[in-house]
Amino acid sequence: MPTYSLTVNCRSHTVTAEPDTPLLWILRDELQLTGTKFGCGEGVCGACTVHEAGTPLRSCLVRVSDAAGRSFITIEGLSADGSHPCQRAWIEEDVAQCGYCQPGMIMTAAALLDANASPTDAEIDAAMTGCVCRCGTFQSMRRAIKRAATAEER
Amino acid sequence: MKPLTRREFLSSSAAIGYGLVFALHIPELEPVGTAVAPTAPFDPNAYLSIASDDTVTIYLVRHEMGQGVRTLLPMMVAEELEADLDHIRLEQAVTGPRFAGIRLHTSGSSSSRRTYAVLREAGAAARQMLVAAAAERWGVEPDTCRAESGTVVHVASGRRLTFGQLAEAAARLPVPEAPALKDSADFKILGTPMRRVDGPDIVTGRARYGLDVRVPGMLYASIERAPVLGAKLVRFDPAAALARPGVVEVVPVVSGIQQGVAVVARNTWAAMSARRVLDIEWDLGAHQEFDSDRFMADLPRRLDEGDLFEVRHEGDASAALESAALRHVATYTFPVQAHAPLETMNCTADVRADSAEFWAPTQTQHRCMEQAVKVTGFPEDRILIHAIQMGGGFGRRLFADYLAESAEISKAIARPVQVVWTREDETRHGYFLPCTAERLEGGLDAEGRLLGLVHRSTASDLTIYDIHGGRDIYGDTPPEPKAPDHYSSGLSPWGAFDNPYDIPHLRVDAVDVPSPIPYGPWRAVEYPSTVFARESFLDELAHLAGRDPLQFRLALIGEEQRMIGPLTLDRRRLARVHELAAERAGWSRPLLQDDRLRGRGIAANVYHGGSYVAQVAEVSLARDRSDLRVERITCVVDCGLALNPLGVSGQVESGIAWGLSCTLRGRIDFKDGRAVQRGYQDFRVLAMSEMPALDIHIVPSQEQPGGFGEHPVPMVAPAVANAVFGATGLRVRSLPLTLE
Repeated sequence: MPTYSLTVNCRSHTVTAEPDTPLLWILRDELQLTGTKFGCGEGVCGACTVHEAGTPLRSCLVRVSDAAGRSFITIEGLSADGSHPCQRAWIEEDVAQCGYCQPGMIMTAAALLDANASPTDAEIDAAMTGCVCRCGTFQSMRRAIKRAATAEER
Repeated sequence: MKPLTRREFLSSSAAIGYGLVFALHIPELEPVGTAVAPTAPFDPNAYLSIASDDTVTIYLVRHEMGQGVRTLLPMMVAEELEADLDHIRLEQAVTGPRFAGIRLHTSGSSSSRRTYAVLREAGAAARQMLVAAAAERWGVEPDTCRAESGTVVHVASGRRLTFGQLAEAAARLPVPEAPALKDSADFKILGTPMRRVDGPDIVTGRARYGLDVRVPGMLYASIERAPVLGAKLVRFDPAAALARPGVVEVVPVVSGIQQGVAVVARNTWAAMSARRVLDIEWDLGAHQEFDSDRFMADLPRRLDEGDLFEVRHEGDASAALESAALRHVATYTFPVQAHAPLETMNCTADVRADSAEFWAPTQTQHRCMEQAVKVTGFPEDRILIHAIQMGGGFGRRLFADYLAESAEISKAIARPVQVVWTREDETRHGYFLPCTAERLEGGLDAEGRLLGLVHRSTASDLTIYDIHGGRDIYGDTPPEPKAPDHYSSGLSPWGAFDNPYDIPHLRVDAVDVPSPIPYGPWRAVEYPSTVFARESFLDELAHLAGRDPLQFRLALIGEEQRMIGPLTLDRRRLARVHELAAERAGWSRPLLQDDRLRGRGIAANVYHGGSYVAQVAEVSLARDRSDLRVERITCVVDCGLALNPLGVSGQVESGIAWGLSCTLRGRIDFKDGRAVQRGYQDFRVLAMSEMPALDIHIVPSQEQPGGFGEHPVPMVAPAVANAVFGATGLRVRSLPLTLE
């Protein structure tokens, strides 16, 4: 099997894998970064969202052969201590229920706020609507995103 | 009391941790089988122990799936124990002697109801012993001492000892059988909004779900299951799959809901992708032409032809209908639904030569154990079941078919293995909420009062109970004939049996309709379809009577408490949630006049006599009746004492989203015996942009806690359908809601 080098959370890794292996499974099964979740494997649910240069990316759709040489941030690397404004706002608004989708939600919201410091309701909906939360924590998430946006302004 | 921040609570509980639960917070698990319960000198009952260093360990006997039991159950213990939340650590109960006689099982929105007395008593007994131990040490009367914040204090002298200092002495005292409980008016923790204890772990990705379990030497398995309901495995050729990189074994699996062939590999992706090259021959069996559209279309006819079961007969409904000035009949249908939790089914199994260990995201260690015993052949004392936090439960994890699969594979390959369902597996191969038809007929007198009601419901059995119990529902052996009280003794169909209204003449019957689709519990179980029909029909009758739907309903709610079978119903509470919901929603105010069609609808339900919920939905549509939007839902909940109000409102938000998903587009179809939908792309669940504004109100109450996890679900569909009628004059009698 071929080997690939990639950077995750500012650390470089070399992995041996089939070329078509999705980045999602490299993160979870090879690097033991299990905060990135498997929900559908087809780019539909958003649970596996990671960042590349601040842009949200569905790691289940990126083949390891394409990921080689690139640099990604996962939920584990979003902040050193859970202090990212989204993470704090998520706790303050008590968003999570089962919590399984929330790493992907937070990565998606963090990227939104990176690009747009004070999104409107419509912009929040547009950014988040491709992410599935079966517990339906949408109103809590909207509040958390606004709270995080306010915190970032300060 | 000022609630602690969850961060404080969690960091204190995690820092002191040892044993398996806390091993889950670090990347590698302890080697299997080495975890032991911590030894603590004071261990008065199964639910808590206190160590000399003041650590209070609370053992969780219910399962976290988002409903907040990891937060709520410790609140119950700590309230009575007078423990300091800073010094509590949580440990999920593991099957074994400590919990003998305790059913480790989470269902029916019963966690708060069923544990409320037990956990408070556990805390109170321990508190009483600690106080007695302190009094003995000081040579004073126990009633001159009291417990507070993890200490016992002698009030007059101010002397103080910590729980840890008293632990050894308390352990020598007898455990009181009926400890005195606090008056709920004195609660300092219960009734206070508390954030989720797991929040910090969830937002950093540290929270461990079933799919995150890692055991040394484990492999991963993905199962290609029968393409048609009930198809049998004839033969398979593993060669092509075995030739794929990373694949270790290919083995048959027959212990799940559907038969299959498992590919076992060194990582998840290798297992999933090698399934595609499996060469399998199936006997497609009797259901290869099964078509759910035909089945559904036939259900109304079956109401008159199937085996009829009496559910609830009061008065003479036939005579009442005969005497009515106006009669009306309507039939409603409700399609098959999938659970679609975000974390797919999975289980990690290690079946060794003479023992076995499982890590299951499950609502029921109890049923997991039954399956583990059945597949491994080991006695219970050779098996450990660890319950792992679930990425959604919703009733899907109430049966342990996926544990049985993992046990079968691990046993066959003599290695630890994690079985991982794909999204498509999850959507097509689990068990489902039954599709139903409900026919209601009502008679009004000349003044528009409801004289009598006849409700006939298809009441398909939840066959997962048979499958789990070892019966092949696709086999040749027909099921035992059902006793005449088969449904009524189970208070079934819920929502038809416990119709909460004061109707002079009522007849409810159920008709049994067998189906090849495996059926099982789903969020709110039987209520969604019956309440959709019942609450829509009341709205139909109100409009026929020329009455305001709210006033029509209030006239059907008597003043009294009354019993329906074993359920006590307080009609005043039902009336009050109606009135509050209407008031908060501005029921009597005119709707906005603009270029859209607008309407309001109301619906309500009582869940097993315990929790009362009313909802008002407000919808708008374009003038051509396209572009339906649910603008706002007002939900008033009386669930008795709200033990954690923040948790209750979260569950209401969640239940409304769940109900709206099924109202707007939830359905699973079967063609040629195969589920058509494959995932979230075609079994679409509600998106953020579709979530209406919510007004959630929890009625202040000191009544017994009544549960709340499922309660807001059933009335969403009828409230929305009734609002659509208000806006358009079109009556919706089948779901998902369409206006054609």
